[in-house]
Amino acid sequence: MKILQVYRSAPSEETKTLVEILNRDRDADSFDLNVDAPDYDQLVEKVFAADQTVCWW
Amino acid sequence: MESLKVYILVANRTYSDGIRSALGLAVENHYGYPVIFNGEFPSFSTYMKENISWIMDMEGQVYSCGAEVPEETYDAELEENLIKEINLKELGEAMRDADFIIPYGLPKQTNEPPPACAE
Amino acid sequence: MSADPNKLAIFVTSPQNMRHVVGIAEAAQKAGKKPMVFFTYKSIHLTKDSRFAALAELCGQDDIAICADSYTCEGYDSVTDIPAGLNDKQMRTQAFHGAQLDECGKYIVL
Repeated sequence: MKILQVYRSAPSEETKTLVEILNRDRDADSFDLNVDAPDYDQLVEKVFAADQTVCWW
Repeated sequence: MESLKVYILVANRTYSDGIRSALGLAVENHYGYPVIFNGEFPSFSTYMKENISWIMDMEGQVYSCGAEVPEETYDAELEENLIKEINLKELGEAMRDADFIIPYGLPKQTNEPPPACAE
Repeated sequence: MSADPNKLAIFVTSPQNMRHVVGIAEAAQKAGKKPMVFFTYKSIHLTKDSRFAALAELCGQDDIAICADSYTCEGYDSVTDIPAGLNDKQMRTQAFHGAQLDECGKYIVL
């Protein structure tokens, strides 16, 4: 399973713990939206390549 | 239509509307699991308690992660609390089976709310 | 109906991510995908953003809606003040979110 973790803001320790469990034994990728100019084309590509996307607060 | 397992994660005290959103999915025959983090509970109006109870009736469950369940949601008739406690690791493991994980609204605030909006 | 692998659900719950909503919807369209957007709770304030009407046009009538109850709860009039770019049929319930889960092969929350 391919899972994509997207961050709208800097992840908390709780978020990091949950991500670690969710990513275990999976093909995991991530994307940071919390930047000045996110590459939305790349994000869409990643979302369509993943089986599941989790976009954290 | 396949019933989906949907976790709605509420970290911010002003986003307990995630419970209503989960109920909306429950009535569409999905399993709704709203999770309130760190005691950021709403005020438990009759409307809110009914929504929580209805989610349970539809085989979903409202969870509290990182805080004890509130006394207000104890249901004397059912002899149980409508909200169940879950720890972070249990939640992570449970969500590995989720079809959708929805961090709802805003992250937790680092400052305390002023009296104007604290209740 | 099975989920369309080329359709992307964007479930908007936060009032501060309009640039991401627009950016992702436009990027999806550019990539030949179809965005389906639902605004709920406090995110309905984004309907007052000057970019909202163009977003509504990009998505098309069947694939963008807002939660009418949220709009009313936040103080707007869901009868006389329908957001620019929408019509009364796009003032919907949480069932639209259910439709997003059913119809879209991919999903992101903002």
